[in-house]
Amino acid sequence: MRTERLSGVHVASRPILGLAALLVLISTLYLMVGPRLIGLDSLLGLANGFDAGSFDHRVLQTIRMPRLVAALITGACLGLSGLLLQGLLRNPLGEPHILGLNAGATLAVVVATAAPMGLATDGIARPLIAATGGGLLFLATIVFASAGKSGMTLLKVTFCGIAFSALASAVTSAILILDDDTLDQVRLWMVGDLAGARMDTLWASSWLLVPAVIAALYVSSCLNALALGDDVATGLGISVRRVRLIGIIAAALFCGIAVAIAGPIGFVGLIVPNLVRRFVSDYRLSVPLVALGGAGLLALADLAARLVMLPHEIPTGLATAFVGAPVFIILVARALR
Amino acid sequence: MTMPFKQPRATGYHQIRIGRLEMRLHIVRTVILVLATSGLIAGIFWAITLGSQDILPTGLIAVMSGDVTLSPTALAILTELRLPRVVLAVLCGAMLGLSGASMQSLTRNGLADPGLLGVREGSILVILCLTLFGPSLPAISYPVLGTIGGLMVAAMTVAIARSTSNLRFVLIGIGLSWFLSALVAMILVSLDASDAQPLLLWVTGSLASATWDIVPVAAGLLLVNFVLLLGCARASDVMSLGAQTATGLGVRLGRTSAIQLLSATMLSATCVSTIGGIGFIGLIAPHLTKLVIGNHSQASVLAASALVGGLLLLASDTIGRVAFLPLQLPAGIVLAVIGVPVLLILLWKRRDEL
Repeated sequence: MRTERLSGVHVASRPILGLAALLVLISTLYLMVGPRLIGLDSLLGLANGFDAGSFDHRVLQTIRMPRLVAALITGACLGLSGLLLQGLLRNPLGEPHILGLNAGATLAVVVATAAPMGLATDGIARPLIAATGGGLLFLATIVFASAGKSGMTLLKVTFCGIAFSALASAVTSAILILDDDTLDQVRLWMVGDLAGARMDTLWASSWLLVPAVIAALYVSSCLNALALGDDVATGLGISVRRVRLIGIIAAALFCGIAVAIAGPIGFVGLIVPNLVRRFVSDYRLSVPLVALGGAGLLALADLAARLVMLPHEIPTGLATAFVGAPVFIILVARALR
Repeated sequence: MTMPFKQPRATGYHQIRIGRLEMRLHIVRTVILVLATSGLIAGIFWAITLGSQDILPTGLIAVMSGDVTLSPTALAILTELRLPRVVLAVLCGAMLGLSGASMQSLTRNGLADPGLLGVREGSILVILCLTLFGPSLPAISYPVLGTIGGLMVAAMTVAIARSTSNLRFVLIGIGLSWFLSALVAMILVSLDASDAQPLLLWVTGSLASATWDIVPVAAGLLLVNFVLLLGCARASDVMSLGAQTATGLGVRLGRTSAIQLLSATMLSATCVSTIGGIGFIGLIAPHLTKLVIGNHSQASVLAASALVGGLLLLASDTIGRVAFLPLQLPAGIVLAVIGVPVLLILLWKRRDEL
């Protein structure tokens, strides 16, 4: 028994190490390539110490490194949020953008910014507000989708999520059109662009990662049993309700952190977990893999968003949509076939 | 002994014969249609009087009877700003209602709508590229070329989904429209801010730039396609009995479906080329219609959907124009706020079937 577990860890470490190496490669590329190419020697030089006289070092220190960190954290959060939703709903289309979490989080932040009482929308309050909004809209989606004899079917919950997202985005747009001050504050953030990522939000949000990751690790250990059906999971001694509740809270927290940092970015949580789950069926192993993969994918997408239309930059969320929409179509076409 | 042949009659119909022309009218439905039409006309008059400058209905009647007592500015506001906007709202709403009604009967899917199936985004992309990169063309060519774009997307959706009557069809259309709107957004990002601003407003759908110039094209295409769709209405009624029965009863399935698809797409493309990407009317209008007059004859569903669509767009544009003065909300946003709850009610009603 003991040796089996040990060998399991041994086998598990290889894909994790592989993905981590890939992530380091992507990050290096991300730091080097841009409108200004930065050589590997300057990059390594920065590790020895910051040279205020070097233009390369200043670009890295003030622009590229913070944006890279934002991309990595946001990507990992989006991936994990998607993985949890897919596992909890047993639905490959589970994704914060599709199921309404992103739109709900955006609406909550915009409402809090526009509120006359002057709610705090900086620091740790921002991801908490976003997570609350996202979680509430998601609850509305699943309550609505689970009505009827057939229960919560895959396509029904997806369609309800899209419908609730459309409602929340319309209300968000209406508020922004009517309130210029709020629009000025959230304009860049709104479209889902890492260019608008703010460092203070990033550091404050990172504290929330601790409870979210702990919850994700707990839930992932139960998701393997949950995948066999609610009855089997209950028979194996798992409180399905508690796992669902904690899982939804964790998914909402991850989505809230991501939205607070970078605005609503879609499809990372759809692509990465589906890709990982093709090779790995164990949810416990999927968690680190999806986190690494999500971070890598978003860094790549952001790199593409900065480069494809030079001298213009496209929003990061647009770059992910180009890859994500076809993946969504393929998944829908395969579903229930 | 010969029995006199007696034609079976459905109840509630009234036979009208003018010379060699013969018509059957359902009395209740006709009355409802007439009431809706007069409601629409009343709505038009009411909407014209509303705005940042109040103009009383009495003043309006005075103008129409030739008695010009209004100030020239008030007259200009009426005839050059509000009237074309209101007329276009009604025309485009009617187009979208018709387009949605025929798409729903064609695909036998109550959630079919040019906006959800990606057809609208296809037209938007083609017309946007034409405006930016193409030579200057006559006004009529934009809707026609936009129709081709929409048809291509419709063909793709059907090809991927294979069957049209389920939710998967709608979701694949949504996926395609996400991809196409990402393309549109990318084109808009690459433009200068001053060029992109009006185009962005057009993509989200706004009547703010309505002028008389585009009214003839819109009205003409609406009329042509309405007549085409009415011509198919009988066949479409029979088709609702199933493809085999319809073929047995002499309906040419291919031709009827082609005309319905072409007209629905062209109506949506015309609306896109005149006022931009307005959503949800094609989805809601036919359902509201069927709530009131039932789903018995496609001809009356089409006519009433057009009326309801016109009324809906007129109402949402007027609400967006007046509710938050001096600011204006685009009609598309007002419609989404009204439309999504209606969509959710529809889902709730069909909760056992999906």
